[in-house]
Parts: sequence; structure tokens; C-alpha cells
Amino acid sequence: MVRKSYVLKHWQLYIMLILPLAYFFVFKYLPIYGVTIAFKDFNVFKGISASEWVGLEVFKDIFSQKSFYVALRNTFMLNGLDLVFGFPAPIILAICLNELRLQKFKKVAQTMLYLPHFISWVIIGGIVYQVFATNYGMINLLLEDLGIGPIPFLSEKNAWLATYTSVGIWQSVGWGSIIYLAAITGINKELYEAAEVDGASRLRRIWHITIPGIRTTIIVLFILKIGDMVDIGFDRPFIIGNVMVRDYSDVLSTYIYRIGLQSGQFSTATAVGLFQAVVGLVFILTANYVSKKTTDEGII
Amino acid sequence: MKALKRMGSLLFTVTLCFALIVGCSSNSTGTGNSNSGGSKSTTTPSSNQDSNKNESKERVKLRVEVFDRGNAPEGLTVTNNLMTEYVQKNFGDPNNIDIEYVAIPRSEEINSLNVQMAAGTAPDLIFTYNEGAAYSWAQQGGLTDLGPIIDEHGPNIKNYLADSLQYGVFEGTQYAVVARRVNLQKYSSLIRKDWLDQLQLPVPTTTEETYETLKAFKESNLGGQRTIPLSFALAPDSYEPVIWSFIKEQSDEARYLRSVTIGSREYPILMDGHKDALQFLNKLYNEGLLDQDFALDKDKKKKEENFVNGYTGLYMADTGTAFGGGENSVVMTLEGNVEGAEVVPVLPWTDFEGKNRQPAYNPSGMYIMVPSFSERAEEAVKYLNWMAQDEVIQYMAFGEEGLHHDLVNGYPVGNSSEEAQKLLFNSGDMLIITNGIDFGSPEKNNEYNALSVVEKHREIATISREYANKDAVSQPIKFEKPLDSEAKYSVVMLEKYEELLVKSIMAKPDSFDQTYEAALKDFMDTAGNEVIQERTAMYEAMK
Repeated sequence: MVRKSYVLKHWQLYIMLILPLAYFFVFKYLPIYGVTIAFKDFNVFKGISASEWVGLEVFKDIFSQKSFYVALRNTFMLNGLDLVFGFPAPIILAICLNELRLQKFKKVAQTMLYLPHFISWVIIGGIVYQVFATNYGMINLLLEDLGIGPIPFLSEKNAWLATYTSVGIWQSVGWGSIIYLAAITGINKELYEAAEVDGASRLRRIWHITIPGIRTTIIVLFILKIGDMVDIGFDRPFIIGNVMVRDYSDVLSTYIYRIGLQSGQFSTATAVGLFQAVVGLVFILTANYVSKKTTDEGII
Repeated sequence: MKALKRMGSLLFTVTLCFALIVGCSSNSTGTGNSNSGGSKSTTTPSSNQDSNKNESKERVKLRVEVFDRGNAPEGLTVTNNLMTEYVQKNFGDPNNIDIEYVAIPRSEEINSLNVQMAAGTAPDLIFTYNEGAAYSWAQQGGLTDLGPIIDEHGPNIKNYLADSLQYGVFEGTQYAVVARRVNLQKYSSLIRKDWLDQLQLPVPTTTEETYETLKAFKESNLGGQRTIPLSFALAPDSYEPVIWSFIKEQSDEARYLRSVTIGSREYPILMDGHKDALQFLNKLYNEGLLDQDFALDKDKKKKEENFVNGYTGLYMADTGTAFGGGENSVVMTLEGNVEGAEVVPVLPWTDFEGKNRQPAYNPSGMYIMVPSFSERAEEAVKYLNWMAQDEVIQYMAFGEEGLHHDLVNGYPVGNSSEEAQKLLFNSGDMLIITNGIDFGSPEKNNEYNALSVVEKHREIATISREYANKDAVSQPIKFEKPLDSEAKYSVVMLEKYEELLVKSIMAKPDSFDQTYEAALKDFMDTAGNEVIQERTAMYEAMK
């Protein structure tokens, strides 16, 4: 009786909740119906329901294609590189920025560092070509004048991987550091003062106060990142990649684009997307489980 | 006060619920019916639909695709400009039709058409140069059979296209109207005459001589530090002329069994000579004779830039593009940028017989189609029928005499005025029934083509075009119907082929064999074998 009157009393709140719920229902749950085309011989003109069921044929077809495995391997490889080099970068940057005494300089540096985040990948791609091209790229022209041979930043496997990773870091490091800076602000200042009085050096203070202070944030972001291991953005590999390194730049998202949109094989593209989602779910649950067991922190 | 608040919240709630119901119901019809059914109601106002069945005099709307190349003059768009007004006034209004143009980005053509076909929102009249896509829609039942409608409403179309209509027949059904293509020349080459003069070399006439000339260009660095003896991009206008000149097989059988069709081009991938061609390019690359960054230049922009800046010795491009654009043509720009620069046409590549074998277009242009879910097939055919009249073609191609063009020797020659630019900037994408204007005979067409070039280049432009005709072979060779596997793999094959090109050309000379074989195997495993199998089966059946 008491509960009922609570609902009745605040019915407006519940009504207001309908809108966001409806949003999720209409735009996130209803389209799941479309996943069925992964199990059908989808004919775009007959529609989803009239297309014939083919069971797991589409998946068999995908798993027999070499290019799918290449795309999958590259997705893991590029995401792995981002995890190893790209993930710690904003943490280090945030800690460095935090140690700056001159507030003005810190603000300016911060703004300049996160500006690249707002540049579209298409434009970054153009810049990368101008700067890194083998023959007429800025850096290689400079190296040539210095008597050092050209470095094939865009055409040789390892050099390209380095270019890809560092451009990614350049683009996202500033933006990524904001959340850590916010977490650092939340650390009690008295801890630093106490440590200083005890004679702890700056590195000691970072190691024993700052890092443990932002540990939760780091772990949550790490788990999310692990969950995204099979999920890779389309723009960056598509734009920074080129024919010479396609063996390494072709990832699941560009594969889906080519098969689905360019070749019109919607069933195959959907199946790859579904595969991606399932593997992503497994990854995120595993990471969460391991994290809960070892550090007691998790997101679910 | 409280009552007011109440009222307010009630009103808010009611609005919300209403919005929800509306949102949900329209969504459920969309998913409940087939895709095409749901969207039809959104594309054409329902009033039109209903009344049209009763009396055809009611005004209807015809949606027509138009390419958006991002080149519309300021203040105009491809969907609303002087030409669209002309069409509306001369075709739309008399027939009680509202014409709505739907912009499709040129470079995203197939992607966006695929999506719009799937969603049922594609325009009533669509077109593409991609035969594979056209065929795959036909196969899935996505296109209207235009045969009977053309019989009834398309006398001009039949008259104008005549035999070319057969190109649009897939398995006995007229699924597409295929535009005529007038100029069949594909590629032309130009060489820097002033460089040759400085080195006291003649214009090369064989592949061997060309190679020596390129080497001489490189040694004397006539274009400065950045000299690029041979222009090269990762585009057909760079690799096709070279590759075809190395092919030693010419029979139809070889073309059916040992080449594949990707898009609208024939790739002689298994023919005798293909590997030699790539080995030759590999040699040029390793000796620094062709653009070292060619693999990054897929849109040919860098290639053109290098040429107009005077870095390039031998320039290969699509026929006509070097002289097109009047005062702003590529060659004019070069002459403006580099003092003393002078070019002459050249046929640089010769085959094993000493001939200049090179590809040419088939006399067919874009595929014009009506999706099966369109209810305006009749109007679409009427539109094409209206367009296939001489005076309409004349206006859509050249505008009015005096205002948009001048008569020179009886030929309408664009005057590149602002007015002409405004009316005709996308003439080729509006006048879809023909690709190029036919003046009745090849000689006359050549005369016209010459007149459209600035006077001082007229002669070399004409020679250049004649060169492009020499020993030219129409491509691709066609089966009775397009192949399923080629339609399915066209994108994948092109990417794999580009990989093959790039890897073999950029390999170190001693690892060329290995690289070539591995890349070829990759191509064949991914799609090639399946395609060749289907081609063989179909060829056997055809014999």
C-alpha cells in the first residue's frame, strides 16, 4: 500500500522516464531484429522477413575466408598496440601536467594538447600524408637534406605501425588525460603535504599517492578498453592505411565496410558485426571478472 | 498556482505520449511490412499516390538521381539550378510532373545507392557506370522491366539508342537503358618536347626507346631535384596502357578464359605477358623512373600536380583531360607555370608485334534503371524519351547560341562564360542518355573535339586523340550476361589487384618473382579462381 502510493505520488517522474526508455527500446533494441539477416540469404528487395533462412551458412562462408582472419588479426594487433602504448600515455601526461606549478602554462599546454581530438580523421589523414610521405613528405625531405635516407613511414610494415600508433596517441592523449586530471583533483591535498613533511621525493609522492588515488579510474577505463578490443574505429585504419600496408591496415570495420556497403553483401557484414559483438562481450566480462578477483574493482 | 502546475505537467505528459505513439506506430509499420513498403509512403505524398490511380492528370513527383561532384558554381546546387529549371519547365510542367533531383556523391555512388536500394528510398530513376551493381540488383529482383514501357512510351529512346538498347538486357529482360558513349578513346600520353630538345632526343616510338628516354630524363634531372620521368598513379590511366602493351595473347578465347572483368575494365591477369609488364614497371620503379609515391596517389591529384609543376617528363592520362577546360586546361597550366614548357603527343608503348595495342571503351555508357519499388516507371521512361530528342540534347549539352556557346564552323563550342558555366557545369550528369555528343560521324566528332580545345593546342590535341585510337581494342569482352562471381567480388578483386600491382612494382628486383607469385596466388585464392571457373563454364556453354 505504501509502495503504491509512492508510485502514484511521483507518477510524473515515471512518465518522464518513458522517453529515455523508449529511446533505448526503439533505437537500441528494436534494430536487434535486423541481426537475423546474418542467418538469412538476405535479399534487400524482399525485406528481412521474406528472405530465406540459411542457418549458419553465412558464418561458414566467413570463417573460410582468409581475409577475415587477416582483418581479425589486424584488429587485435592495432588495438593491442593502442593498449600498450596508447593507454598509459594519457595517464603519464595527466601526472606530468599535475606536477606543473605554473597554472597559466598548464592551462595553455592542456588546451593545445587536446585540440587534435576535435580534428576529423580525414584532415589528420591529409596532414599525415603531407608530413610522412616517402618522396615528398616534409620529414623525409628534411632527412634527405641531412643525408639520412628516406624512412618509409607509410609503406613499410613496422614503420607504418609506429606511425599509426603515434598519430593515434597524438590525437587522443590530451583528451584522454582530462578524466585522469579530474580524478587527481579529487585526491586529498593533505596526503601530499604529509608526505612532503616526511621527506618523500616527488617521484615517491607520485608513486604512493597519485597513482593509488586514480587507480579506480584506471581500472574502469582499462576494462572498457579491453571490451573494445575487437571493436575498432573505422576512420583511423581506413584513412591512415593504404594499399602498401593493407595486409596490416585492413581491420574488421573496414572489412565490413567493403563487404557490406561496397559489395552489398549485407548478410555477411551483419554476421561479422554479430561476431564482433559476441567476442567483445566475452572480453569485457572476462576482464571484469579478473579485475574483481584481483583488485576488487569492477564495472558490473 | 498549483492547478496551473498540474495543467502544465498534464499537457507535457499528453504531448509525450502522443509523440511516443506516433513514433512507435510509424516504426512498427516500417518493420512489419517489407522495407520497401514502409518507405514508399515517406517518399511520395500519399495524396498523389491515391489520386494517381483514379486520374492520371493529378500532379505526380518523379525523383531522379544526379551525381554530386562538389563542383556546382556558387549559389547553385546540383539539385536546383538553371538546368533543373529547364527540365521542370519543358518536361515536368507539360506532363504534370514535379521533378525532384536526388544528389548522390560521385565517389560514394555505389555505397549510397546500395543503401538506398536496400532501404527502398532510392530515386525513381537511378544510374551508374558499374555493371556489376546493376546486374546484382536485377538478379535480386530490384529493377523494373522497362521493355513494355519503352514499347509504349519510348519511341525516341528506341530511335536514338537503336542497337545500344541491347546492352541493358540481362537474361532476356530490359532492366536498364544504357546510354550511348560517343568518344571511345581511353588513354593518351604526352611528352615534354622541350626536354627532348635539350637532350637532342627524338620522340620515342617503342617501349625500348621510351625506357632510354626516361633514363635520360632522370640522369639530367630536367625537372629539378624532384624530376619524375614517368607520371604514375595507382589508377587505370597509369597501369592499363603499360600492361596491355605487354600482353602477347589476343584471341577472344584468351580474353574470356584468362582475364577477369572488374567494374568496366578487363584485367588480363593470367595472360602471357602480364607478369612481364609488372616486371617492367618494377624495373622503372627501382631505377627511380616512375613516381616513388604512386601507391598513395589513387585519385591522380598528385600525378596532375607533378605534371603542371613541371616535374614530369612523360604524362599518361585519360584522353581529353589534358586539354579539357579551355584556358584552364592541364597543359595551359603547365605552360603558365614553367617557362618554355612544350608537350607533344606520344605513343610510348609497343607490343611484341610492334603495335600500339591499347584499351578502348565499349560504345555503351551508364546504366539507367528504375527500381522495382518505384511507382513512377512510366514517368521515368517518358523523361528519358523526352531527353532523347535532338533539340533537348542540343540545349542540355550546349545551351543557347550566343549566350552559352558560339557557332564555329557549324559546331557549337562552349564559350566558357560565367553563364555557360552556370547552366552546363554538370551537363554530363544531367544529359544521361548519351556520354559525349554525336555529330553524326567520327570525323565530325573529331572536328568538334578539336574546336573545344584552345586554338594553339588544337593540332596536338587532335593528334593525341588519334593516337588513342591506334590499335585500340574495345574492352571489356562481354558474356551474354554479367557473371555472378564478378558482381560479388568486384570491390574485393580491385583491392587485391591493386595490392598485386603495388607489391610487385615496389619489390626489390631480386624478390620480384616471389612477390608477384605470392600476390597473384592471394588474388586467385580470394576471388580469382571462382571467377575464372565461372568464366570457363560460361565460355564452354557459349561455344
